Amino acid sequence: MTLFHFGNCVALVYVPYHLTYKYSGLSEYGAFWKCVQAGGIYIFVQLIKMLALATFFPTADSEGAKLGFDFIGELLKSSMDIADLIGIYLVLNSIPGKGHAKVLTAGIGWASAEVVLTRFLLLWVGARGAEFDWKYIQKSLESNISLVQHITTATLVWLWSRHDLKQRFVPVVTSLLFITVYRPLIAEMLITSFMIGPWSALFIKAIHAAVLGSVTLHIYSALAHSIGIF
Amino acid sequence: MWFDECDGFVELCRGSLPYYLLIVLPIFIIIAPANPVAASHEFPAFRMNQYDLHGVPHGCRSASISLEARSVSGWSTSRHCVVARALDLTPDSFQAIKKKAGSLIVVLPEDLSSLNDEQKEHIMALEVAMMTVPETTIPVYFSKWNPELEVILQDVGNSFITDDKAGSATEALFNSITASGYQVVVPSAQPAVKPDVKISTLHGKLTGSGSEDKLPTIAIVAHYDSHGATSELAFGAESNASGVSMLLELARLFSVVYSVGKSRPHHNLVFIVTGAGKLNYLGSKKWLEDQLDGLEGSVIQDASYVLCLDSVSASDKLYVHVSKPPKDFSAGGLLVKEIKTVANNLNHPPVEGIHKKINLADESLAWEHERYSIRRLPAATISSLRSHDDPIRKTILDVYSDDKIDKLYKHTTIVAEALARHMYNVSYSQIFSEPLSVSKDSLTMWMKYLTSQPRSASLINDKHSLVNTIKESMQKYLGEVKITNHIPDKREPEVVFYDTTKATINVYSVKPAVFDLILTIAILVYLGFIYLVVYNFSKFYNFATKISSGKSKSS
Repeated sequence: MTLFHFGNCVALVYVPYHLTYKYSGLSEYGAFWKCVQAGGIYIFVQLIKMLALATFFPTADSEGAKLGFDFIGELLKSSMDIADLIGIYLVLNSIPGKGHAKVLTAGIGWASAEVVLTRFLLLWVGARGAEFDWKYIQKSLESNISLVQHITTATLVWLWSRHDLKQRFVPVVTSLLFITVYRPLIAEMLITSFMIGPWSALFIKAIHAAVLGSVTLHIYSALAHSIGIF
Repeated sequence: MWFDECDGFVELCRGSLPYYLLIVLPIFIIIAPANPVAASHEFPAFRMNQYDLHGVPHGCRSASISLEARSVSGWSTSRHCVVARALDLTPDSFQAIKKKAGSLIVVLPEDLSSLNDEQKEHIMALEVAMMTVPETTIPVYFSKWNPELEVILQDVGNSFITDDKAGSATEALFNSITASGYQVVVPSAQPAVKPDVKISTLHGKLTGSGSEDKLPTIAIVAHYDSHGATSELAFGAESNASGVSMLLELARLFSVVYSVGKSRPHHNLVFIVTGAGKLNYLGSKKWLEDQLDGLEGSVIQDASYVLCLDSVSASDKLYVHVSKPPKDFSAGGLLVKEIKTVANNLNHPPVEGIHKKINLADESLAWEHERYSIRRLPAATISSLRSHDDPIRKTILDVYSDDKIDKLYKHTTIVAEALARHMYNVSYSQIFSEPLSVSKDSLTMWMKYLTSQPRSASLINDKHSLVNTIKESMQKYLGEVKITNHIPDKREPEVVFYDTTKATINVYSVKPAVFDLILTIAILVYLGFIYLVVYNFSKFYNFATKISSGKSKSS
């Protein structure tokens, strides 16, 4: 019965990843090990981030808790997420070839590593209990959104690294990358200041990911068209 | 087109997905702990009293629960655990629950001391109904009020509305799907018999001046244990912390009087603090057997009068309960007369004598003095209650309150004064006046100490700190302080106690099985949608290409 619920959650997390992998044509390229490699780089980058956070922001937690929202500290902490972008850049470099497969492999590999490391244990421990809580369904949906976000991020990084990107798109891509880095911070600020419930927060995140994704898709398709990837 | 997509979906299921999961998931399930998550709600709860008295089982006989929570109006089968406020339960509904429900959790009111009289009577009536034989076979727990429990109570009360109240069929259906239910789990073993039961009775003596054996002896008796529907919450302020406090205060006063050679009366005073008073005055019974049937001489053998103190701070009036009216010029007659006179002198409502014959057919004796009267010792009980049936003597509502102290003070003064006058054989007023008088502070101290812990007979044995504290203070005032421990007979014990007096209730919020199925359908629909999006992503892409290329052409 509760295992059934766990199954529900896992299906909700896993199937979209699988579908994306399968129907984006990655499976035909045999990109599975590339995805795993991307996951490895993800783990490496997270370790470095953790080390850096623990070294430079050791006491921010206990003090910040009392003062409410410590903006500067949080901003600095979020800046550490630039390491993620560097990580994705590394992944992109390590994947030979060009085209959709490159970007998708990096995005999916990165996102899957995150899902496996952050969600699976939570679901395993939480969703199997006798206790029912909507939070597990929410977390599962959130991981779907993060898949879209990570693919978007990978695309943006790729776009940014291209020299043949049209000049008028460069500031747009850069600002989108900035938004990606500070997204968790902005989301948290919104949630705390407007007392947004978990469902509406999820909805806002989905809209956000969709908008960012479509803008990126728009820029990407133009470039891909011009350099002849179909 | 649709068929193609379905094919694709089936392909997916046939692909790499299920095979390794078939191996991996069972392995995970096997190695995972049985219940990986703690309940979100945990409450301490107190199990209803359970004991056997003279072989007759009393109270609740089982302890473990794993049932669905329902309200007092919503339960229907023995698979339901009724969760109800104490004020919503009536003796009748309790009887129904006792017979047919699976278990019962009684939530006590938020603030026990601010209840009005009607509410108090309601709860006491419920307690009486609970403790009457025959025994309760289902587990019954008491829990103190807390906000989380209030939420559960409301949820349980709102959901499972019986069909006549639901608006329409669809509404009822919707309710049954979305309703959040609660699973109540109390993991505990079948209550076992407590092995080391000892009923301790303490006595101490003040010896009068003159030949000790020839002096008349007056005994003061009070039992220290309490009783309620659940043993862990029986604080017993009125019955019988008040009696013990009065006894210890009398001991203190008279120890001063006895310590000065000149003022030492020609009476012996014996103070007896008995155990298991709520269980047919078993402590007194065993102590008397020990004293009277033993080979050594007894401190109470030729007692001229035995004065039992029980519930002495409930009302302004005092009653003297006797099973045989004392003769006018016997010691008892004089003493009772003295009490009445003193009460009169101190402008106190008149002391009323109540005569009630001992009824041996009853399950238990009415007042403690009957134990002594049965052994042919002249005895009386002083109480501020008119009847031994008063439910205040056996309730969890009997907690400390400041207004008891005044009454206790007055009554202690009357009894102390009357005793002193009787022993000195004088009839003028105020033997105990400043600096030697009844002390309110000392009475308050004892009341507070005694009511700070549950004192059910089942919780107290000879090593309990309460027994030691009483013993130490008796040793301070009295001589020859002794503890007599009664160990129930192995084969035919008069009294049997059981463990598991408290437990932790785990409450899990759960959804009905239908809900999970509906959720699965919703997830499948969602995944189907995702599938369509991913499958047709090339269309989006082409669309985006078209727009951007169109734009770049125009620009």
